[in-house]
Amino acid sequence: MSQNSIILKLVSLPISIILICLGIMTILGGHITPGGGFQGGAMIASGIILSIIVYGLGNSPLELSHTYIEVLESVGALGFIIFGLIGLLVGGFYLYNVGTDVLNIVPQYIQNIFHYPDVTNAGIIPYLNIFVGLKVFVGLTSIVIAFAGFKKLTEEGE
Amino acid sequence: MLNLGPIIFGLILGLLIGSQIKFKFGDNVFTLASLIIVFIAGIIVAWQSGNFPFYTDLQISTGFLSALIGIFAGNLIFARSK
Repeated sequence: MSQNSIILKLVSLPISIILICLGIMTILGGHITPGGGFQGGAMIASGIILSIIVYGLGNSPLELSHTYIEVLESVGALGFIIFGLIGLLVGGFYLYNVGTDVLNIVPQYIQNIFHYPDVTNAGIIPYLNIFVGLKVFVGLTSIVIAFAGFKKLTEEGE
Repeated sequence: MLNLGPIIFGLILGLLIGSQIKFKFGDNVFTLASLIIVFIAGIIVAWQSGNFPFYTDLQISTGFLSALIGIFAGNLIFARSK
């Protein structure tokens, strides 16, 4: 599946690194600018997919192990659910923004715990973006790894 | 005013992903000099992005820059060998 072009092999890893950084930047600005967890996660995945396509599945510099994918996928899903349950327990609504507290029903010390350190007072939204970004990034990457693996198996079988 | 949120979480996400990168794979080797060039190119991209996303802090994208530093630091600290 890998490409034989030397130029592609030279530029793909640097472009992948820049794409990953752009994806992280998109995730971290998701609460005040266009973008967010899904878009940023898809951009990170695109960086990894680029290197898998160019260098091949077994030879890629950016290849995620099964355990790594499993752990990040679980952390993403569990983090989202835990933040939702915290809102349910403290504020009475699932995914209630305990860091901002629009309804003034959350104690101040809990608000301070979930306050995101920036000027926008966004509460838990950036944290949710980060969890969604992690989940989307490993989800999309694992799909491509699976497809590349199937293709490799088919080519070996022929 | 400097916002700490993108710096902290950009570094964490960069460390997470940087731990999975190899710079010596198959016949290809990315030397230290080429990585420095990639780092400088990343700084230029961060500079051209402006003060995204808050528009009130430094004239450089802090989230991008901390992610870049996190990727290289994660590769140095946690890199897997094959």
